[in-house]
Amino acid sequence: MAEVYNWQLGRPMEYVYEEAHPNRQFAAIFNINRCIGCQTCTGACKATWTFSKGQEYMWWNNVESKPYGSYPKYWDVKILQQLDEAHQTAGRSAEWDPAQTGEQSPYGIYNGMTVTEAATELNTGNQALGYLPPDNEWSAPNFYEDTATKYQGDRLGISTEGAALPVHQTWFFYLQRICNHCTYPACAAACPRKAIYKREEDGIVLIDQSRCRGYRKCVEQCPYKKSMYRGTTHTSEKCVGCYPRVEGNDPLSDGVPMETRCMAVCPGKIRLNGLVEIAEDGTWVEDLQNPLYYLIRGEQLALPLYPQFGTEPNIYYIPPRWAPRPYLRQMFGPGVDQAIERYSAPSRTTLALMQLFRATQTMVFKFEIEEGPLVREIERNGQAWQMYDDTVIGFDAKGREVARLSVVEPLHERPKERLNSI
Amino acid sequence: MITRSRLFLLTLLALAGMLTFFKIPLASSQGVTIAAAQVAGALPLDDVASAVWEESTAVSIPLSAQIVARPMFPDANVKAVDVRALYNDEQIAFLVTWEDETMDDTAVRVQDFADAVAIQFPLVEGQPFFCMGQQGGNVNIWHWKADWQAGLATRQDVDDVYPDMYVDGYTFADTEAGAIAPVSSYEDINYVPAMAADNLFASASYASPVEDLIAGSFGSLTSQPAEMQNVLGHGEFTDGKWRVIFTRDLQSPAAEDAQFENNQVYQLAFAAWDGANEERNGQKSTSQWISLQLGEPAAASGATGAAAPDGTDGSGGQSSANTLEGLPYIFVPMLLVFGAIVGVAAGIWVFSRLPDPKK
Ligand code: SF4
Ligand code: SF4
Ligand code: SF4
Repeated sequence: MAEVYNWQLGRPMEYVYEEAHPNRQFAAIFNINRCIGCQTCTGACKATWTFSKGQEYMWWNNVESKPYGSYPKYWDVKILQQLDEAHQTAGRSAEWDPAQTGEQSPYGIYNGMTVTEAATELNTGNQALGYLPPDNEWSAPNFYEDTATKYQGDRLGISTEGAALPVHQTWFFYLQRICNHCTYPACAAACPRKAIYKREEDGIVLIDQSRCRGYRKCVEQCPYKKSMYRGTTHTSEKCVGCYPRVEGNDPLSDGVPMETRCMAVCPGKIRLNGLVEIAEDGTWVEDLQNPLYYLIRGEQLALPLYPQFGTEPNIYYIPPRWAPRPYLRQMFGPGVDQAIERYSAPSRTTLALMQLFRATQTMVFKFEIEEGPLVREIERNGQAWQMYDDTVIGFDAKGREVARLSVVEPLHERPKERLNSI
Repeated sequence: MITRSRLFLLTLLALAGMLTFFKIPLASSQGVTIAAAQVAGALPLDDVASAVWEESTAVSIPLSAQIVARPMFPDANVKAVDVRALYNDEQIAFLVTWEDETMDDTAVRVQDFADAVAIQFPLVEGQPFFCMGQQGGNVNIWHWKADWQAGLATRQDVDDVYPDMYVDGYTFADTEAGAIAPVSSYEDINYVPAMAADNLFASASYASPVEDLIAGSFGSLTSQPAEMQNVLGHGEFTDGKWRVIFTRDLQSPAAEDAQFENNQVYQLAFAAWDGANEERNGQKSTSQWISLQLGEPAAASGATGAAAPDGTDGSGGQSSANTLEGLPYIFVPMLLVFGAIVGVAAGIWVFSRLPDPKK
């Protein structure tokens, strides 16, 4: 076991391999607030990568309805339960110390055990906690969508108050999931053959199809259950981060990195995908002009999914404003309250930057903002909040402009004679 | 008060506890020799019940769970294998039998693991680390798999385990065939990436149920190229028992293969997996090194005979199996032995200093 630094936990942690970091890391932001659950992303991935025999049940991208839907069934409940039981056995508590924030501990310090540490503590004989979901659990990612929680209605069952922020009485939300291309992948730790590797150029985690022997240790120990077994080849497969697009080798890409398939198709415009620069010691090189760096590290608007698992996942979520906070804190860590507050009353830069989501298929490496006029003044979070019609400009890896959008969308009024035409 | 007899009892209890904890079998396989019987005619390549096997004496070899490297699994199921060996002028054959409650011969569904058994031969003089060899001490492994055996004629496919599945057609495969299009019908094998990467597990059909591999430490197991796969096999499951035959030519053209000659003693070790217990990779039962005797070894050439061909030191040839670290693992058993010696010495010293009640 080696000691590595996990900035999401604000502390060093135990991992099977020494620290070795890629030059750039594949990362993305999913804005849960905007997802319409259309599954276009899910279909795009399937139509690109997993339409062949033996891959029928593989949804490298899936969108599940929380709190009850999950793929595979109850993956989150099961791994959380294992982690909880491990803490009880060890007489420890899985608590965060959110007061101890610092540059390399933005969410405070996690004092509990990760899935790797718990496996060592409990002497499980494995590298991480986990379980192997049988075939019947790879089903039903979406259910109880509109009846997720019960509310007290009137005689007819109709709500007397309706739904109101900050927390809706009846709630659910969509959780969009792909492989997190973790900094410390549990799948790679679990593989006894070292058949799983993290690419130096972009941190994408891949399973070497020539070395895999179908042991399914990665399926068992990826806490996010994003490694999947293919019965026709007796090997495991997983999200490949659409690496030909990320490399800029796709015929459409003009030689510059492109967003992945699931990101580029999203009609809800919830996704932003890119690469962030990583220093040799694993820290993110400060770059407030990179949209991902700005929103994840600068504003801390987007948070990792279940950071307590300890794999340092690289897909970041803007938490849903209307869901109960304890549930969200368990899911995204102690940064949830601040993230929701900032999302509800976004800074001038953030608001402009949010326009860049799904503005182009090309990965944006740098953005600039041209200031515009004040257009609106309202109250938000009990304070005055101003909206400006700023313009955001996105640049690709070669510094070429690839997107330009303003906060106020241009309005086109239909002329009278065409009022009824479709 | 602690007397010599009480301490003796306590020591015995502690020792028994340790043996149970580390799953160390009391019947050690060390020193066991399998005498291969020389036969004049053909070897029974696929007849597990052939009377010819009786010409060789079955040797029972105790196995214990692999607990040196993660992943480990102290509750591995197979406790022993019985082995017979035969050879003629050209080939050598082993019959390995063991008890198993269930026949697990498919690995198509995510939760299915197949039963398996393996024989391991050192490719260097002497005995490298008994589990998967070590750096500079490669081993040749013959690995029989129940699902490869079952899939010899036609590979098992998803439509075999899910007969009611429906698919319009698989793009790039035989689209007319719908759900029953075999993976071998793919025109563009890039959609079967493991096959495109020449992974034997994904080959359109298996030439033998036995895979021929080399290893030089944990995690380094590497399949030999398809054209070097020269171990034949046949396995049958009856009455709660697997009977598996391994056969190969005495001499192999492959550099990283065990070689056999008459009148020599070789080392070999066994491992077995119970699929129903989700055993796979390091989650297995293994034996210590066992001796294999062909004919009447000359007194001098005896004990050190290794299956290494001349000029092979295990570090040359296909070095891919050798590039991963494994050396620290050999210190684990060494440490255990060292600890035991120190413990016994300390025990004797304490013992000698305690009052003897008889005095
Ligand atoms: S999400 Fe799972 S499969 Fe993906 S890199 Fe992390 S541990 Fe591996
Ligand atoms: S990044 Fe590519 S491979 Fe991964 S889930 Fe999205 S579309 Fe699928
Ligand atoms: S395509 Fe976008 S909006 Fe539709 S389900 Fe996927 S993430 Fe949500």
